[in-house]
Amino acid sequence: MRRSASLAVPFLAALLLAPASLVAQDAVPGKAEYDRWCAGCHGVDGKGDGPGATTMMPRPRDFTTGRYQIRSTPSGALPTDEDLTRVILDGMPGTAMPGWRDHFGEAEVRDLVAYLKSFSPFFESQPAPEAMEMPSAPGADEAALAEGREFYQKIECNKCHGEAGRGDGPSAPTLEDDDDLPIRAADLTENWFFNGGGSVEEIHERLVTGLNGTPMPSFQDLIAAEFMTEEQLWRVAQYVRSLAPEEPPVVREVVRAGRVEGDLPASVDDAGWDLAERYYVPLVGQVIVRPRWFSPTVDGVWVQALHNGSELALRLVWHDPSESPDPQWDEWQSKVLALMAPADSPADASPDTAAAGASEQGPLSGSQADTTAVAAASPGASYPDALAVQFPRSIPDGMERPYFLMGDDRDPVYLWRWESGQQASELLARGLARYEPLGGSQPGALVAEAVFDQGEWRLMLRRTLDAGGIEDRLGFEPGRAIPMALFAWDGSNGETGAQGAIGSWYFLYLDQPTASSVYVTPALATLLTAALGVVLVRRAQRRARNDA
Amino acid sequence: MKPLRHPFWQAVAILVIAYLLIAYGIPHLPQLVGMESAPVPGSVVLQYMVTVLVGVLIWVSDSDERWNRFLEPVRATMVDGDKRWLRLGLLIALPLLVGLLAFRQVRQTVAAPPSLRSIHPAPPSSITFRGRPLNLAGLDNPLRADGSVAEDYEEGKRVYYQNCLPCHGDGLDGRGHFAHGFTPAPLPFNDSGTIPQLTESFVFWRIAKGGPGLPKEGAPWNSAMPVWEDILTEEEIWAVIVFLYEQTGATPRTWAEAGEGGE
Ligand code: HEC
Ligand code: HEC
Ligand code: HEC
Repeated sequence: MRRSASLAVPFLAALLLAPASLVAQDAVPGKAEYDRWCAGCHGVDGKGDGPGATTMMPRPRDFTTGRYQIRSTPSGALPTDEDLTRVILDGMPGTAMPGWRDHFGEAEVRDLVAYLKSFSPFFESQPAPEAMEMPSAPGADEAALAEGREFYQKIECNKCHGEAGRGDGPSAPTLEDDDDLPIRAADLTENWFFNGGGSVEEIHERLVTGLNGTPMPSFQDLIAAEFMTEEQLWRVAQYVRSLAPEEPPVVREVVRAGRVEGDLPASVDDAGWDLAERYYVPLVGQVIVRPRWFSPTVDGVWVQALHNGSELALRLVWHDPSESPDPQWDEWQSKVLALMAPADSPADASPDTAAAGASEQGPLSGSQADTTAVAAASPGASYPDALAVQFPRSIPDGMERPYFLMGDDRDPVYLWRWESGQQASELLARGLARYEPLGGSQPGALVAEAVFDQGEWRLMLRRTLDAGGIEDRLGFEPGRAIPMALFAWDGSNGETGAQGAIGSWYFLYLDQPTASSVYVTPALATLLTAALGVVLVRRAQRRARNDA
Repeated sequence: MKPLRHPFWQAVAILVIAYLLIAYGIPHLPQLVGMESAPVPGSVVLQYMVTVLVGVLIWVSDSDERWNRFLEPVRATMVDGDKRWLRLGLLIALPLLVGLLAFRQVRQTVAAPPSLRSIHPAPPSSITFRGRPLNLAGLDNPLRADGSVAEDYEEGKRVYYQNCLPCHGDGLDGRGHFAHGFTPAPLPFNDSGTIPQLTESFVFWRIAKGGPGLPKEGAPWNSAMPVWEDILTEEEIWAVIVFLYEQTGATPRTWAEAGEGGE
């Protein structure tokens, strides 16, 4: 913030000149491709106001400002042609900006770069930007990471990114970009979503050059002021890299619940969970039924599962910078709602649709249309964080199962729903956020324990396998593939009802007790083969002796 | 003695080559014609290998002379004094290998049940759009009637960027920034297997009724494709269809190509 890009003065001056440089762009190389592939987001005039822009947070870049994030040039400077080329080819992971590597040839990208530059007068009026010399990376070891950690706090990365790097620092709720739009401090544990790439070198380049137009500053001046050395900045980059896993998580379709003998882990942070396999389930915005939600907070949940033959426990871990409801995030919530809600306000629902019976041809009943009846979030209200685990009401025999968005009238789903500050409940849902209490289920039958810790929720949900004879309540059976889906809401992001993060159907599989045959059969096979071998050799040797 | 003249080593070579071809060669074939491919399942490899083994045994036992030469090294290993250590090694290694194979057969393995989904199931002959009956058979895009689609393309572009983008992507390649959250994945329109094969009437049905409108063989319960009649008007849907074809440079299938009233 102190060090944020200082383009403001030349920019104001250039505003007056801008129209002149925008004329006669018609026969310009790059324009055709730009209009066809980029203008839908960035706008025909490059102002970042294409028709798609309102469904995105962060918004598409306004090229007339000359402010670029992913650069090899000093803070506040323009990007080089190579910088622009790289961003066009690789895109900006974690945003709507896609990579175009498969789409354009070299010449097309060159023309596009030239065309983007023509939107801003600065490329004409300022000397050609030059890439900074980057010192090469020192080797990293434990001590290096400790030093990185020390400087991470000393130079106040934690103010925005939080102690554990989950984007939950004390300043996080207040952050705005240079257009006064709310902006998230990156979750440093998810380097695959870093806009400029997740390698140590790329992180280091961001720290040296800063992200112009955002609160994320450059730290080069601290080196100039001899507050820290070049090597120490590398240490910070290495430390940040170490916060994320080696590889981005791999998505697997089947979540296996291992079988333990005796008691399940007693609490959410019990050491008993350490051995349970972790599965990653990605979540995305609910952009299917109205009111839609294009900027969810939660982008994935880590799932672990264990059972002991009579009870099943799930451990669900996800990142959310706010323990909602949290008054510190009230402003954030109203800013996000102001920015994102108009894209799909229920007001523009056409009145004649709800009655349509969306899909009389299909086997699903189409009650999703009624979701318009589910209220959208309102800026003044406060909402809890929430998570739901969805199952069918009974294990399906064939492929058929309820509609993945919480079922419908014809085939409702059986749901576990937890809210911050409340017990978890077992519900029936007949469509997204259309909950009903489950008849006959007893309060407390589903046990929940949740911990919020530095931008991370850890939740344990536990229930008996047996359905207890209650109608519509799933009985869990080991050895069968049980469909399962997850939903998450961040209350401080204005998420409630149909507006939140959703995922597809996965499978939960409860391991069967290992049958003794699993060990006996191979042992028997080994012994038999060995015996057979010995007999054959003996016979061959006897015969050879007789022949001799 | 040249090893490759010897029937024993020839048999071994045949088995090894067959294994490599089946396990690693075959998966490459579909890629040559640009199709998706997957590893050959272990059970299939086993089946083929048993067939090859039987064939090889028939071949080596075909003449007495070859059969005897084939057995020579086998006998030598079992009998010769200087091969004692090799013999012992094999007597330990082979049973262990058999035990391991048996274990891999009987241990608990977990795979998702197969999901067989028809991507382009037969469409209904008529639907109701927002309560109004609409005949799909023979239906053409009304926006093409006036000869020019330039305006419709722009309108379709707006509709696409405000609605379809997060899933189908701005490259129309099915790789929008939310696509990774959905199984089945959003379909790519720049693929010869999708919209170029379809009539605009079929595409209209898919957009209007979405995933939930699919018949059972399309696994409607899994599809994230929204029911757009709840959100878009009929005009908007026809416009976005114009956009899909113009942007990818594809042409819709005509009713003449599609034959009598069906897909
Ligand atoms: C789906 C919408 C979308 C499309 C289409 C799109 N972009 Fe972007 N683009 C974005 C968004 C969103 C951002 C800003 C991300 C951020 O601020 O973190 C962005 C940022 C950029 C940036 C700024 C990079 C920086 O360092 O700050 C460039 C350059 C860019 N886009 C070029 C292009 C080009 C060229 C095309 C067409 C080939 C294109 N974009 C198409 C959404 C889009
Ligand atoms: C004033 C708040 C603030 C401070 C202090 C801050 N950051 Fe950031 N940082 C941000 C914001 C906001 C973003 C997201 C920018 C975006 O999404 O465009 C960000 C993004 C990042 C990224 C992701 C870059 C990318 O390619 O997307 C990294 C890595 C990062 N910060 C590391 C650090 C480190 C290390 C420090 C301390 C040396 C630090 N930040 C200090 C606000 C801050
Ligand atoms: C939430 C994600 C999502 C959105 C948004 C979305 N789709 Fe889809 N779409 C899918 C998925 C997933 C499929 C593949 C499954 C299926 O066929 O139902 C699909 C399939 C299709 C098909 C069938 C293609 C074929 O070859 O059969 C068409 C056409 C289509 N979408 C058009 C659109 C249009 C037009 C929009 C915007 C108005 C749109 N989609 C928005 C997810 C989405």
